[in-house]
Amino acid sequence: MNPLKHRRTRLVAVLGTLLLTVGIALPASAATTYEPITGTGSTWSQNAIDQWKSNVATNYGMQVNYTGVGSSAGRRDFIQGTVDFAVSEIPFQARPEDGSAPEVSPRGYAYMPIVAGGTAFMYHLVIGGKRVTNLRLSGEVITKIFSGAIRNWNDRAIQADNPGLAMPDKAIVPIVRSDGSGTTAQFTLWMSKQYPNLWTTGMTSQFPTPPNGKAQSGSAQVAGYVAQGYGEGAITYVEYSYALEAGFPVAKVLNAADYYIEPTASSVAVALLKARINTDPASADYLTQILDGVYNNADPRTYPLSSYSYVIVPTEVRPDVAPVFTTAKGATLGAFASYFLCEGQQQAPDLGYSPLPMNLVLAGFDQIRRIPGAGSANVDPNSCNNPTFKPGDSPDKNQLALTAHQPAACDKRGPAQCTTGTAGAREETPVSGKGGGGAATGGAGAAADGSAAGGAATGDPAAAAAEAAAGGAGGAVYDENGNLISDGGSTVAGAAIASPFTVGDNGWGWEESVMLGAVLLLLAAVALPPYLSQRLRRAEATAGSSSSGVKR
Amino acid sequence: MSLTTLEQLEPDEATSEAEARTAVPVKDGIEVGPRLRLRSARLDDRYALLGAVAGALAIAILLFGWIAPLSGFVGFVVVAFLCFIGIYALLVSTTSDGREVIDRVMTVVLASAGVILGTALIFVVAYALVRGFPALLHLNFFFQDMEFAGPLDGLDVGGVAHAIVGTLIQIGIALAISIPLGIVTALFLNEVGGRFARFVRTVVDAMTALPSIVAGLFIYSAVILVFTHQRSGFAAALAITVMMLPIIVRASDVVLRLVAGSLREASYALGASKWRTVWQVVLPTARSGLVTAVILGTARGIGETSPVLLTSGVTSVMNTNPFEGPMISLPLQVFDFVRSPEPNIIARGFGAAAVLLLLVLALFAIARVIGGRGPGDLSPRQQRAARAASERDVERMDAAAARRLAASAEPLEEPQ
Amino acid sequence: MSIGAVVSDDRSAGEVTTTVILAEEGPSAQPPQEPRSLTPRPSRSDSIFRSVAFAAGGATVAIMLAVGLFLSLRAGSALQVTGFGFLVEQQWSPETGEFGIAAVLFGTITIAVIAMCVSVPLALGTSMLISEVLTGKLKQWSITVVDLMAAVPSVVFGLWGVFFLQENIIPVSRWISTYFGWIPFFAVTDQTGEPLTDASAFTSSAFIAGVVVALMVVPTQTSIMREAFMQAPAGEREAAYALGATRWGMITAVVLPFGRGGIIGGTMLGLGRALGETIAVYMIISPIFSINWQVLKTGSNSVSALIALRYGEASEFALSALMAAGLVLFLVTLVINFTAASVVARSRSGAESEV
Repeated sequence: MNPLKHRRTRLVAVLGTLLLTVGIALPASAATTYEPITGTGSTWSQNAIDQWKSNVATNYGMQVNYTGVGSSAGRRDFIQGTVDFAVSEIPFQARPEDGSAPEVSPRGYAYMPIVAGGTAFMYHLVIGGKRVTNLRLSGEVITKIFSGAIRNWNDRAIQADNPGLAMPDKAIVPIVRSDGSGTTAQFTLWMSKQYPNLWTTGMTSQFPTPPNGKAQSGSAQVAGYVAQGYGEGAITYVEYSYALEAGFPVAKVLNAADYYIEPTASSVAVALLKARINTDPASADYLTQILDGVYNNADPRTYPLSSYSYVIVPTEVRPDVAPVFTTAKGATLGAFASYFLCEGQQQAPDLGYSPLPMNLVLAGFDQIRRIPGAGSANVDPNSCNNPTFKPGDSPDKNQLALTAHQPAACDKRGPAQCTTGTAGAREETPVSGKGGGGAATGGAGAAADGSAAGGAATGDPAAAAAEAAAGGAGGAVYDENGNLISDGGSTVAGAAIASPFTVGDNGWGWEESVMLGAVLLLLAAVALPPYLSQRLRRAEATAGSSSSGVKR
Repeated sequence: MSLTTLEQLEPDEATSEAEARTAVPVKDGIEVGPRLRLRSARLDDRYALLGAVAGALAIAILLFGWIAPLSGFVGFVVVAFLCFIGIYALLVSTTSDGREVIDRVMTVVLASAGVILGTALIFVVAYALVRGFPALLHLNFFFQDMEFAGPLDGLDVGGVAHAIVGTLIQIGIALAISIPLGIVTALFLNEVGGRFARFVRTVVDAMTALPSIVAGLFIYSAVILVFTHQRSGFAAALAITVMMLPIIVRASDVVLRLVAGSLREASYALGASKWRTVWQVVLPTARSGLVTAVILGTARGIGETSPVLLTSGVTSVMNTNPFEGPMISLPLQVFDFVRSPEPNIIARGFGAAAVLLLLVLALFAIARVIGGRGPGDLSPRQQRAARAASERDVERMDAAAARRLAASAEPLEEPQ
Repeated sequence: MSIGAVVSDDRSAGEVTTTVILAEEGPSAQPPQEPRSLTPRPSRSDSIFRSVAFAAGGATVAIMLAVGLFLSLRAGSALQVTGFGFLVEQQWSPETGEFGIAAVLFGTITIAVIAMCVSVPLALGTSMLISEVLTGKLKQWSITVVDLMAAVPSVVFGLWGVFFLQENIIPVSRWISTYFGWIPFFAVTDQTGEPLTDASAFTSSAFIAGVVVALMVVPTQTSIMREAFMQAPAGEREAAYALGATRWGMITAVVLPFGRGGIIGGTMLGLGRALGETIAVYMIISPIFSINWQVLKTGSNSVSALIALRYGEASEFALSALMAAGLVLFLVTLVINFTAASVVARSRSGAESEV
């Protein structure tokens, strides 16, 4: 009848389609026999959990809601009873070292290991237009970087770790977590245990942002920042899987055996063989980890910053403090736990984690039995399809650790540096000189411990340039800003070389005056003619009118 | 305006019987000259504009390319714009006086402000739409949830149906609470009045200043932590209600205040009670305005992320029960998606943002169709209806008059 | 329809009114010499309507007061610990009792002020352009677009800020800091005062957040200002033209003085929204807990971003501290809104400016 009526019918049609959508989508969620469960917590282990929850949804119709909000928030949610389970890298803090209030859960709980992995140092560094993928760092340097003591990539200590790289004159931007994070807690715990004189804050979930650093919330955000174009020069601590996902390299970290190791599944598994686990079932911290042995594990295959993450599960139904949790949900939680302890661990290496060893799986089974309503979950190690053990194995074996390769010789601390990439960036980074040998032959004060590439090791750029020049063929040449211009004895084609650039100084010399003069002249050339012609015309007009006035 | 439409139909109907009522002015024979075009630009003005643009570009290129050590796109634009203003002023000054120059230059400045703003805003919206387009191409994006989509899956698996449904449920609950409460409160402020009404108005005005995140924080700590012990769609709806209620009350209040007092007085004069007046005069008159107010409030409520961030919880599956379990909504889903480093997930985030934008756009369009008019201002359809109604009235009145006439005529005749 | 409805409804309502009148004339047995009371006795429907309306008003106020009281009570327990120090302390560590919002509030205000510096000139120019220069279809079209933009969700602006602006504004920031670095606000230096030039020194700054928030609030501001300008009386405009004013002369003499209330009201309302904006700011800034005067340099903070960041891991007491921060933000916004309202009420225009 009229356009308005048409519009109305159309509107009705649209609304109808929308309702239909709801109708179609509904049965999908109704088909489950499991009660949906909800959890929050760590972003460190989020990539694994996200994969598992999509797997159990596909295979068993189990609905698991998980939100990575940070370990601290996860533990808080568990205390407040708003979730069915929480995931955290560290247990409830009864005596937090930074003086915060103790965390006390009103309902019974148990810790169950969920997945192991390495806290990696993902970085974004470019030398001469080529992305560096083989950076190596010692623990002391890492601590100094994140406490703000080392602020430039061409610092002597970093250069000493990387004899094959000509470190550029670029500010280091440490990216830290702004939310309360278990990753931060693990990292600060490691620093406070290993370098108590360099790291004085102690273990904390809230990283104090260094003055040259930046804070972002969540693992994905810190990794995302480093991966951006403007993230050049940035480095962050994050689970290995985030670097894999982002396609970025991670730093190889120096272990107690003087090898620089990447946090792969096997190096984490080897490291964790030395983890002491609190096996006293009476203790509230039952199954939590004591990592001092891991930090100083003498096995050359060890990645020192390896750790487990925990899922905190309720062991009692308490409608007064946590009305959300029921035995029906306990059944789902038990089935989910049984899945991730066994089958789910198969995917851990691909996702950037390390599978849990048998002793932890067995202990996890004990915890599943304590979950109310989880009686029907599978807790048989022989039908557990976990990659670290075969049916009939003893608990102390780890198949992954047995088969792990020894590190390459070029990963040993010394003048040689491997060219292979790490984590998500597998492309090689050519090193300058024969594994830093150029500096050794140049001999401009380069010591045998591998502090290489001539003058970069010295702080004073001018002296460095002079020294490098004096060093002759083997030495690297730097400009006055400390940038590498040529690295003498480079034998590798396409070696990473920084292009020189100068920062414009703000002095006012004769050149500037001439330029200003030219600009003014140009502006005058544009503006003056119309202005003058106007003046002339006006002058003529007034003259004309006045003369005519005289005539009258 | 509506009154004139009523008047307009009188001549057709009634001129024959009562010519004295209205007379249409006769325009025949009056010479109308060609319409004057005011404010059209003269030819030299246009050339001045073009010349200034060309000159400014030339100078900027000269400065940046050859003479001064300037660099950067922004610097170029700034310098070129300043040159343009200067040259344009100079060119205009050759033909006009000072005031004219200022007038021209300011017009150009205003126009540039408008162009900058318009470009920026449209760019923001287009950016979300364009980057979300790859996700929108897949139909499953609208009909699936993320239950079976892992972090590494492509765009052909999973979608935001659960977030769309969540948004509709949450905003539905929020509207079910805030529309009746909001509009009746606005009626209370306007029609009942009194000291308490003034107090209510002050409190409502104060609450429009409540930051939306604080509304979320209130529901989180007063409802979730104390009563429900879980994040849910209902909690999110409550947070949206707390945020939206003062907005709807205030907007409805403004609309109701615009209802002409003479209409109310006419109703009272005809003996209607207060409630009758509200129900049959005030509300119908203000209806389109009220609908607009509500829809624009809805658009704000739908788009706000911060209250739901604290209250609704995040889930990747369809949840149609607002009282049990987390229920995600579109803005939160966008926020959740784009935190991921995975390009596919980010594309989904932009897709969800595009869906949200389209939803808001649709609401806005509906608001424009229904509302967008002042009280008593009628749409063509309403005008036709009103015209038909008054035609019927005229017929009825004429018939009644005829009957009366006949009736009065007959008794007169009878005695004779 | 409304007028038609009135015409016909009067008839249908007539019955009701007659009954009312009859009801009042019922006790007509009263002696006629007594003067009739002029205050009408409300009918039943009226009294029901009154009480329902009263109840609704009461409920609205109850909800609003509940929010306010709850906030104040919970905030009180945190404020008792710190007292006045809450406003001057920069650190935020409620667990150890050292917390205050000096740095956070400073960041909030910095971002809002930057947003105003960007948005007000644009809004002013655009609203004048729409109301005074544009005509016909273009004018209607621009009004619609601006109103539509006011409804665009803030998360869309946040996306744009993070994925587009953050990367592309770096040259602008660098340019400003290079050529205007002598102004302390625009300098970007490290602790020793050395100027920084790295791209990452310019990201996540208050400036970027301010620009995004500016774009978010500018449509609302434009809309309010335009309405005020368009209400300038035609008679006064024509008088100005008749006296020989140019268009700009007319604007300065008539439109601007008339629309002053709208300008102030629009600016203040935009400021209020800018102070409370959460998501876009949360997505962009890198939170720090120290006062950073260098707006182009990375690191800033805002009250709402702080709440969004920390509410999840907050203990009972830390939640109180966050509420205290929220309360302060609320009070600041409240003062701004009421100032705007009083300014607008005293001016000739802008009475229609609402959120």
